[in-house]
Amino acid sequence: MLRTEINELLTQTGPGTPMGQLFRRYWQPVLLAEELPGNDCPPVRVKILSERLLAFRDSDGRYGLIDEFCAHRGASLWFGRNEEGGLRCPYHGWKYDVTGQAIEVPSEPETSNFCANVKLQSYPLVKIGDVLWAYLGDPAKRPPLPEWEFITVPEGQAFTSKRLQECNWLQALEGGIDSSHVSFLHSGSLDNDPLFKGSRGNAYNKGDLKPFFEVVDYEGGLLIGARRNAEEGHYYWRVTPWVLPNFTMVPPRGDHPVHGHFWVPIDDENCWAYSFDYHPTRKLTENEVAAMRAGMGVHSANDASYRPLANKDNDYLMDRDAQRRGETYSGIKGIALQDASLQESMGPIVDRTKERLVATDAGIIKARQKLRKAALALTEDGTEPVGNRSVDQKVRSVAIVLPADQSFIDGIGEAMVARPGVGQTTV
Amino acid sequence: MTVPSLVSSCARAATAKEAAFRIDYPLAPARATRVVGFDAHAVEVVRSAAGHEWNQAQFYSAADPGLQLVTVAGEPRPLAGVLDGVDSVVMVAATGEGAEAVATIGAACHVRGIMTAGLVLTPGRLTSDALVALRPSARVLLVPADEDDLLELLRAIRA
Repeated sequence: MLRTEINELLTQTGPGTPMGQLFRRYWQPVLLAEELPGNDCPPVRVKILSERLLAFRDSDGRYGLIDEFCAHRGASLWFGRNEEGGLRCPYHGWKYDVTGQAIEVPSEPETSNFCANVKLQSYPLVKIGDVLWAYLGDPAKRPPLPEWEFITVPEGQAFTSKRLQECNWLQALEGGIDSSHVSFLHSGSLDNDPLFKGSRGNAYNKGDLKPFFEVVDYEGGLLIGARRNAEEGHYYWRVTPWVLPNFTMVPPRGDHPVHGHFWVPIDDENCWAYSFDYHPTRKLTENEVAAMRAGMGVHSANDASYRPLANKDNDYLMDRDAQRRGETYSGIKGIALQDASLQESMGPIVDRTKERLVATDAGIIKARQKLRKAALALTEDGTEPVGNRSVDQKVRSVAIVLPADQSFIDGIGEAMVARPGVGQTTV
Repeated sequence: MTVPSLVSSCARAATAKEAAFRIDYPLAPARATRVVGFDAHAVEVVRSAAGHEWNQAQFYSAADPGLQLVTVAGEPRPLAGVLDGVDSVVMVAATGEGAEAVATIGAACHVRGIMTAGLVLTPGRLTSDALVALRPSARVLLVPADEDDLLELLRAIRA
């Protein structure tokens, strides 16, 4: 359980909140690159960390992320005209560049200096990989650009999707850290999903439903090792990295692509799940990409605004027959929606004063502790958080069989370090 | 599929407004937890944690072979009695000392269906004799850990 004030501290990410301050020390995914596909394309509304913003791509291909509302009368610039190097409010013609600087105020005399003094709040927006990244914090504290492996592998080796999740970001993140639910909730998918099936590790997963856990505190966050019985004298380890504040990876299966997530707060009751797959040493196959686009693996089939087609308005397309047949454990199809359906059912912000945690929730308990300490250290002492350095981001999940007497930390060695051209460690 | 006539009859009930209709009742009694330290540093941490306010947690030290534990007041207790009616045991170690006691307690917990957790008090080190000693007996291990982790774990499970 958590006290109310700690639950609020961890779940509130708006401007001025401790957790909001923490998030504003990191580059965060705010759009897929496909959402701004060309110069002068339509602008896109972006709500992130409880701030309403507008993203656009100007005539020269520069990306901008600015306050959604015109400085003049507060109209939404989403209605604006994206043309000739800026975004023009259709109400009275005020025009802004990608930095939020007003560059034309037609009602003022041509020689007026008025617009030099009009500037909307703006944030840097950069394209790396298939993702547009924004930094909403103090410019003087801006960390290096993100270097996650899924955005730095050669073209054709990665696929990224996003989906709306209608609950607080922490509920979604905690699902990414909680390895113990996999043997139950996702058990059907190990046999059926083309992006999971066929690996030797699946048999270990299903053969040992009560794994042991080791939660290892490392500088960028946590490594959560789930240990299951393998052949005589050996254990099968699945190692999940969590990097502060909201990045998790799923341990790989066979030669399938590696996957993971960013859990990005939209506001305190909604978040985006950015889900990626990549292979460190080869291009994704057509079949793999088709499966990802169809919503398999960690992805979901969505409508045009990235809301899953199976959602709370249709009971997530619950299929009791599939549940009875054992095709899915919960009756919901797909890993992503299996998680989302339960996490959303907890309510927009679950009341953690009522929960009954057990010792195997130690990963979640430790992650909450690290988040709380990082947020308070930043706001009270100015201590810079971890997780935004290059070394923190060059991380991989691992699946490995080790002798029973070997520590998984010793056993995985450099397997958890992303190295260009070196394959993932997987079973 | 049929369309439910009440919002509470479908998954759309996951709103803050609907959450207000969740049944509110006192939480069930706290878990009966025992915390055991196996070496000097671990016992010091366990003793310090014992000074906080807890529901049903009790704190002990143990030495090989582990059939008898000692309370923070220095009173010996037989292991079987200490584990009577217990939900979870948290084992704390900084060295490999007391490995036999760890194994004895771990085996006794396994037989009784008691959940075990282990805290490895080795700041800055991810592998240690303490880890090797605790691993076979603890369902979940925190590596490395400190007193704060112990307090956090106990509070989270409402010990």
